[in-house]
Amino acid sequence: MIEEFQDPLENYDPKEYTDPVERALAEEPVTAIHHKPITTISPETPVRDALKTMAALDISCLMVEQKGRLAGVFSERDALMKIGTEPFGDRPVSEFMTSNPIYVHETSASASALCVMAVSGYRHVPIIDLDGNIQGIVSPQRVTEFLTAKLN
Amino acid sequence: MGLQENMRAEQVRTLSLREPVTVSPDEPLNQVVDAMKSHRLGCAIIVDADGKPIGIFTESQLIKLLADESTDFSAPVSSAMESNWPSARDDAPIVEVLNQMTSRNLRFVIVVDAEGNLVGLTGQRGLLEYIADHFPEQVMVQRIGGTPHLNTREGA
Repeated sequence: MIEEFQDPLENYDPKEYTDPVERALAEEPVTAIHHKPITTISPETPVRDALKTMAALDISCLMVEQKGRLAGVFSERDALMKIGTEPFGDRPVSEFMTSNPIYVHETSASASALCVMAVSGYRHVPIIDLDGNIQGIVSPQRVTEFLTAKLN
Repeated sequence: MGLQENMRAEQVRTLSLREPVTVSPDEPLNQVVDAMKSHRLGCAIIVDADGKPIGIFTESQLIKLLADESTDFSAPVSSAMESNWPSARDDAPIVEVLNQMTSRNLRFVIVVDAEGNLVGLTGQRGLLEYIADHFPEQVMVQRIGGTPHLNTREGA
């Protein structure tokens, strides 16, 4: 006699959240956090131009893009740790960027972006679609905005 | 209790506060940047002779200085510091950290006691760690899918 198949997920109930902040973080996708606009540069850009772009736009992170793909992220932290006060202005940004940044997929929960920040220590988390294209970036400031909106 | 309630009920001092980099106003910029580098910290707090905070120098200001070719990094840090900074009392609710960051658009919050003395530093990072503690499942997922974090296997 064939045993009747029992789906192990049959009795699984998704967790229910009563707290509005927790519910938003767990159930809303990461794209619910502002993730645009993004500023992209090519890896060959001289680092001085990258810094000027950041200063002019008052942003703390640039996405380094090569042929539509994410090659790296150049952030304030890279500038502090790898440039400091040295005169490296003419060298390409690819020498100073964080290559292989940790990213999240656009369908992940918004909490995942926060957890990447908390666990990895990287403040800027790129959002990638399933084809590997850059969709946006979540910054601490955008997270703060999101949380403030959910708290009030 | 839920996260929203906790953020209103718990005090700032329960966050993991970070040890700030403190410098005097006449410290040259390049030494301040070196101190930030060695502490891996995105800001330095400028304190007066009594140890009370009087200004902050952050990574964003460094970017602006680096973008300007004429910057002299031997100038005192007081020439580039910001004197308007977010701060929160250590007995304030955690939500105050969020409010301070939003209103001043800076990701660091200086924690002071009732007399205005420097207690520590928190901000985006401290808040994120606090929130991440409420989402252990997500933290594990990221560890499995992202960079290797565990040197040894957990469990069996």
